[in-house]
Amino acid sequence: MTFILTTGRTVAQGSFIEHKISKGYQRATSLLFIHPMDLFCLGIESGDRVRVTGDAGEIVVTTEASEDVPEKTVFMALGPYANAITGGYTHSTGMPDYKEIPVSIEPTDDPVISVWDIMEKAGGVRYDHT
Amino acid sequence: MIIHDVPCPFCGCLCDDVSLVVEKNRIVGVENCCAIGNAKFLSKTRLKHPIIRRDGGWVEVSYEEAIDETAKILAESIRPLLYGWSGTYGEAQVVGVHLAEELGALIDSTTSVCHNPSILAIQEVGHPGTTLGQVKNRADLVIYWGCNPIEAHPRHLSRYTTYADGYFFENTVSDRKVVVVDIRRSEAAKIADEFIQVTPGGDYHVLSALRAMVRGRGDVVPGSVAGVKKEQLERLVALCMEAKYIGVFFGLGVSMTRGKYKNVRNAIELVSEISRKTKCTISAMRGHYNVYGFNEVLTWMAGYPFAVDFSRGIAFYNPGETTVIDLLERKEPDASLIIASDPGAHFPYSCNEHIASIPSIQIDPCVNATTALCRVQIPVAITGIEVAGTAYRMDGVPIRMKKVLETEYPTDQEILERIYAKVRELNGNG
Repeated sequence: MTFILTTGRTVAQGSFIEHKISKGYQRATSLLFIHPMDLFCLGIESGDRVRVTGDAGEIVVTTEASEDVPEKTVFMALGPYANAITGGYTHSTGMPDYKEIPVSIEPTDDPVISVWDIMEKAGGVRYDHT
Repeated sequence: MIIHDVPCPFCGCLCDDVSLVVEKNRIVGVENCCAIGNAKFLSKTRLKHPIIRRDGGWVEVSYEEAIDETAKILAESIRPLLYGWSGTYGEAQVVGVHLAEELGALIDSTTSVCHNPSILAIQEVGHPGTTLGQVKNRADLVIYWGCNPIEAHPRHLSRYTTYADGYFFENTVSDRKVVVVDIRRSEAAKIADEFIQVTPGGDYHVLSALRAMVRGRGDVVPGSVAGVKKEQLERLVALCMEAKYIGVFFGLGVSMTRGKYKNVRNAIELVSEISRKTKCTISAMRGHYNVYGFNEVLTWMAGYPFAVDFSRGIAFYNPGETTVIDLLERKEPDASLIIASDPGAHFPYSCNEHIASIPSIQIDPCVNATTALCRVQIPVAITGIEVAGTAYRMDGVPIRMKKVLETEYPTDQEILERIYAKVRELNGNG
């Protein structure tokens, strides 16, 4: 099913700003807020995992039912999970499309990977001495 | 010991009325602060030593070794990128601009991925702006457009708008109306007197319709614009015309969606239009506590507010070309210095792939997502807690950040000065 993904700040995301490697930050930025009717159409329940795929990439995240988002629009806190599907094209303005990203969403049993995992996929090396 | 009137080093509100309880050189209590500022003041985890990547892992090194390695990487690179700057103070930013000029580097800040389109719009049509104090004391109508202050700037409403006492009001809460325009029913939308829900990407249409209505040409507006009924738009225009002072605040919902800076330009022109009939101002909800400060510093020193390229020997500015995302997408930088920001968490994935593929250095107190992408990380003192300095609030008012704790960590300014001196030495300019 196709949706429009939008991103933005949340208090939970902001309060983990100095703890980006924590489970709390992972949870705050890997929640996908989705309308209950859309969950129904996908045949899943709040808390189930989905694979979100856009032109620039894909990521597995956890759903959270919310009537605050309109149907066919989904919301995520800004962070490495949303950015895994955000493309770097800026329409010659310098600003990528962080909001209004067309995505397809399908249920999955795959796990939500960690922030370190995403960074290592991009070519980095984790520092877990702390 | 209680230290009063401490500015909060988190968001652009730069709340300077926070009280900190300090015992044995540790912050043990925070009063008058939001949940996010609280978490920052009470944060304990941080990187203890400079680290360098060797043999597929990380090793701890001395500050001297980390600085020498950083200077060597930067001096040897052909197209270095200096990025970040919004989470540090003006005095350190000044050294950063000198370093960029010495290196012939591209220097850009987090502005590039937040209110860059707002600045482009302001450069096109000007800025009918104001200070937050004026809004607090005068605005009887506040419009939040494409932003969610309750979650992004949690004290904006209580210090400056909805819940703040205004000098010229008898009962501010009942005399002040709040309108929220957004694509979803955000927390801010729930407390608004009027919530206008726009379909994603529809801001430009709604702004244009409002401009026509304010001009008296409501007849050309169809029955529904981007999901908003014409009657609701008419109600908003009537609210504006009745108001004595309107404060419009806009966020990334306007600047990051389709249309980018043209959306913001349209919003500014709507504000100008309303100002023919009553007083109306517009302000950007800036994110980092000193993102505005870097725009000031770079403008004083190089003539432009962000995305300045010194590779030609002069300051060259062309957003869309010299902006950090475009540069990384073209895979141009062959080295990068990242300070006071976390692109690992906030850049598109493809840009992070390039940062990881080149020698990158991070200057930051904490281990964050960018740590993994870098070869060197140098921990520093935390601005506004362990080091004093100048930061600019979202309305351009400079505020002196306080030092409340003693530390052995060097400051951003000190580290940058040492890198700068070393680079000059390597370049034969020492």
